[in-house]
Amino acid sequence: MRSVRGMVSWWLAALVVTLGAAPIAAQTVDGLAVDADAELVVAVPDDTTNMDPRIGMGSTRSAYIRQVFESLVDVDAQGKPVPGLALSWKPVGDLTWEFTLRRGVTFHNGEAFNADTLLFNLDRMFRRNLDRWGVKDVTAATSFEKVYPTVSRWEKTGDYTVRIHTSEPLPNLWDAIGREPLVPREYTVKNGVDALNERPVGTGPWKMTEWKRNDSMRFERNESYWGSPPLFKRLRFQVIPEAGGRLAALRAGQVGLVDSVPPLDAGVLGRESGIKVVSSPQKLYCRIYLNARPKDKFDSGGKDGLFGDQRVRLALNLAVNKEAIVQKIFHGYAQANASPVASVAYGYAAQEPYAFDVKRARALLAEAGWKEAGSDGVLKKDGETLTLQLLFPAKHYGQGFDETTPAVAEMLKAVGVQVVIKTIDYGTLLQTVTKGTLPYNGGFAACRTSNNLDADDYLRDWTAITLINWAPYPPELAELYRATRREVDPQKRLKLLADLQRRVRDWSPVVSLYQEVKIYAVSARVLRFVPLTDLHMDFRGVALRK
Amino acid sequence: MLRFLLRRLFHGVFVVWGVVTAVFFLVRLTGDPAVFLVDQSATRAEIEHARHLLGLDRSLPEQYGAFLLAAPRGDFGESIRSKQPAMRLVLQHLWPATVELAVVAALLSTVLAVPLGVLSATHKDGMADHVSRLGSLLLQSMPGFWLGLLLILLFAVELRGLLPAYGSGTWRHLILPAVALAAAPLAQNARLVRAGMLDVLQQDFVRTARAKGVPERTVLYRHAFKNAAIPFITVTGLSLGFMLSGAIIIETVFAWPGLGRLIVQAVPGRDFPVIQAGVFVFALIFVALNLLVDLLYAVVDPRVRLS
Amino acid sequence: MRRGAGAAVASLVILGLVGAAAIFAPLLSPADPIKNDLLERLTPPMWSAGGSAAHPLGTDTLGRDVLSRLLYGARVSLVVGFVTVIAAGAAGVALGVLGGFYGGWLDDVLMRTGDVQLAFPVLLLGVAMLSVLGPGLGNLVLVLALSGWITYARIVRGETLSLRQREFVEAARALGALDGRLIWRHVLPNVWAPIAVVATFSVARTIIAEASLSFLGLGVPAPTPSWGAMLDEGRNYITTGWWLALFPGTAILVVVLVINLIGDWLRDVLDPRVERGM
Repeated sequence: MRSVRGMVSWWLAALVVTLGAAPIAAQTVDGLAVDADAELVVAVPDDTTNMDPRIGMGSTRSAYIRQVFESLVDVDAQGKPVPGLALSWKPVGDLTWEFTLRRGVTFHNGEAFNADTLLFNLDRMFRRNLDRWGVKDVTAATSFEKVYPTVSRWEKTGDYTVRIHTSEPLPNLWDAIGREPLVPREYTVKNGVDALNERPVGTGPWKMTEWKRNDSMRFERNESYWGSPPLFKRLRFQVIPEAGGRLAALRAGQVGLVDSVPPLDAGVLGRESGIKVVSSPQKLYCRIYLNARPKDKFDSGGKDGLFGDQRVRLALNLAVNKEAIVQKIFHGYAQANASPVASVAYGYAAQEPYAFDVKRARALLAEAGWKEAGSDGVLKKDGETLTLQLLFPAKHYGQGFDETTPAVAEMLKAVGVQVVIKTIDYGTLLQTVTKGTLPYNGGFAACRTSNNLDADDYLRDWTAITLINWAPYPPELAELYRATRREVDPQKRLKLLADLQRRVRDWSPVVSLYQEVKIYAVSARVLRFVPLTDLHMDFRGVALRK
Repeated sequence: MLRFLLRRLFHGVFVVWGVVTAVFFLVRLTGDPAVFLVDQSATRAEIEHARHLLGLDRSLPEQYGAFLLAAPRGDFGESIRSKQPAMRLVLQHLWPATVELAVVAALLSTVLAVPLGVLSATHKDGMADHVSRLGSLLLQSMPGFWLGLLLILLFAVELRGLLPAYGSGTWRHLILPAVALAAAPLAQNARLVRAGMLDVLQQDFVRTARAKGVPERTVLYRHAFKNAAIPFITVTGLSLGFMLSGAIIIETVFAWPGLGRLIVQAVPGRDFPVIQAGVFVFALIFVALNLLVDLLYAVVDPRVRLS
Repeated sequence: MRRGAGAAVASLVILGLVGAAAIFAPLLSPADPIKNDLLERLTPPMWSAGGSAAHPLGTDTLGRDVLSRLLYGARVSLVVGFVTVIAAGAAGVALGVLGGFYGGWLDDVLMRTGDVQLAFPVLLLGVAMLSVLGPGLGNLVLVLALSGWITYARIVRGETLSLRQREFVEAARALGALDGRLIWRHVLPNVWAPIAVVATFSVARTIIAEASLSFLGLGVPAPTPSWGAMLDEGRNYITTGWWLALFPGTAILVVVLVINLIGDWLRDVLDPRVERGM
């Protein structure tokens, strides 16, 4: 150190080095050093079909889309709504909802997010003004104009406020509109809707960098994210359809997180060091739908649906041993739920469970007029045998469903229902129920999920004649449902919803089987991963150990 | 020669057209894909709207006509499931995934067959012969997917991920599916080589060469094998075509992102455009390979040209 | 006795045993193959820990007895294998003879259809057709037979063609001899040998094809047991329920192996030129 200048240089250098090292050393989560440049590989069961939210939402695909695109309303780990791209939402009078949008949000390409963006998205969702925008119509997963026909118009009342008007009170509009991921206006108009799939641009914490169809999708951290950017740099969804393969990859260290672990493996995995098993109830709800339609409402055979009598349907619910299903098939990773609404939905009210009571089931059937004809246990009424032609879409909803349905058929046989299982593929099932050609003594096993948070989505099932409605509401329940749709006061509405759920439970339109619990397996390297009740994986806040 | 070529070419075009037409009508008999596009609370009007957007409400001849006009341009419509151009999707899955798998499996099943078959033939009725023949028989008697499952069990599970069992990405991912796909054809080819060699080894010119004192190795490879090579080339060319067929199941077992798997997934979803485009590509490749083999045969054996 | 006959005899014996097991399945099965019992789910074979003699080879994911399903599954495999080949063979031979004997447009149509069908990946044909027709044993046989008839037709056509050109046939026809009799006395005796060889190997291939289609979910529909479907059910439980896939897989392997051995021997005895090395 010959000169003062030299000494100052030396000290400056030392300072710079220390300051430079500090951020690196300071990156810790829960006291453990984390790697900010790491890549997390997630093993998922299938690829998404399309990144355009209008087309691609549903099943695993929400997780892909929601990394890149965001919606007005976000959701926390318990399934409760929290602000997303909207800071707040409130009803203004009975017929209007006002959304206040977050400021300072930009899309990945720099385009600003504001009220104009929301107006454009509403036009797309309700299929209005498409010619004016110059974007083409797409066959969408949800048709807003059909499901919410009372939404009349929308307008912006400021750069960051939008009001939506309805012709009748619609208390869950915030949920209906709020969960749809939003796309950029200028980008879509300029490049067409196909660009949303090929080069998606959203406001989300991740940017898509590469998509190898049916193989993998890579994402990179969005450094200019409006919230805190993710704590690791790269994310990859790796498609591995077989559960065994996903677990093998986890054990070999090739992936850090596995989506959808089979229940039988969960127990074994939990005991392995270096792997953690976490789970969360989901909105997927599996049931057997019975044909209870009056003959003027469906097309098969000119007879009333055989299961029109509420006592028969209730008897079938009492004949199924739901606890056995939960314990033996799902090893505890499922829920038996007597409410028609999923337990994680907003407005869910727990109901008295359906007891497993074969005697009472038989008594109810006898009360409804089904008497034993001979000694073989077959039940008859007016010469008609109590038969259930059960359409079973195998290999569509997963292993648990495929094992549950035949087991349940056996349980129904034990109370005297002649169950004939017809294994068909999912497409044929859809066609049958769409055309209304389910036999009068028919039923089908299917699962129902929801992209929304509100209970209304489930209770709506038995209103209009749609492909899933085989037991239309009787007038009292229909009226009660309409009341829940009109009540704007949140507390009063929750009470009405609870009442409706209780009555639907007793009215028993379907045989409820189980509600899904999703199981994830995480490597010990991955910190702070919390599963959601939604069909989505949120990696904000997740970090990878060095 | 030219006439022969033209005749075979015309024949090939006819076959491809036949396949594509058959699939066109067959697939429309399986039902209506419009139901997949709408959500559970859809009404009939919605589904009609979806059918209209897909162009399925037109009459069959009309649809067929439109299809024939668009197909030569490479336009097979959009995948119903993912709204992307069907042919592009098919080609993305064909190359590199299925081609990689088929070529590597074809190479394995032919190149390895030679030493195995020759060994077997030269040590006829010896230990090596018996082992080789038993092994061949076993491999040919196993369903491909069964072998695949066993390989997965052994390498990925028991040996703790020595080789990856699913997906693609590195050359290591290619090993197990290629072996599973190549096993049965390898067994068959080895037996073919053995039989061919045995035939040839008994012929006069071989005995002459031996009597002249030509070293055994030269006898084998230069004289005998060259003559056994012709049917062998035929088999290799054709086997590549069959690899594409067998790939369908192997790709499903190993989750290999190839064309076979794409088509298998498209069928239950009634994704007509993808099914049509995929089958077209399969048929085209198959016919082209056949044509090449015929050509090779014609070049090598003049008698064929004249028939 | 020719070399290799020992293996063939052993194979015939084994095949006979399998056939007997299939026929007497109701007597030999310890339980009802389609009755499921949730509480008995996934019990291992009796020699493993947790197994019981009531279910010697264990139970599957629905509590059904594996041994019973194995025995009844033999019925499906053997019926599909033999009936398909008989149907395809009969149709193929008939069409091949007609095409070869009468020639003309019939022959052309036959050959062209055959070419088109060969360019179709066989499994794809199965997948597409079964989606149209729906699952079922009859439909399965139909689909598999449809993909198999060409081979027989081609062989028979070849023989018929070469025969028709022989002088004595021309002469006999000129003299008014019935075509049918000519076919019966001269064509068929020459073709039955290669046909028999091809047919034997076809049975093996058909059994594998049925297993493959069942594996893809397109075979005989549940709850009827079939070896391919059992393999498909077992593939998700390879580590935890190894017995679910091992037994049906081994059964397929053994049956196909013995049929291939019989075919080999038949080929050696009847006509060494046909299907060399296959």
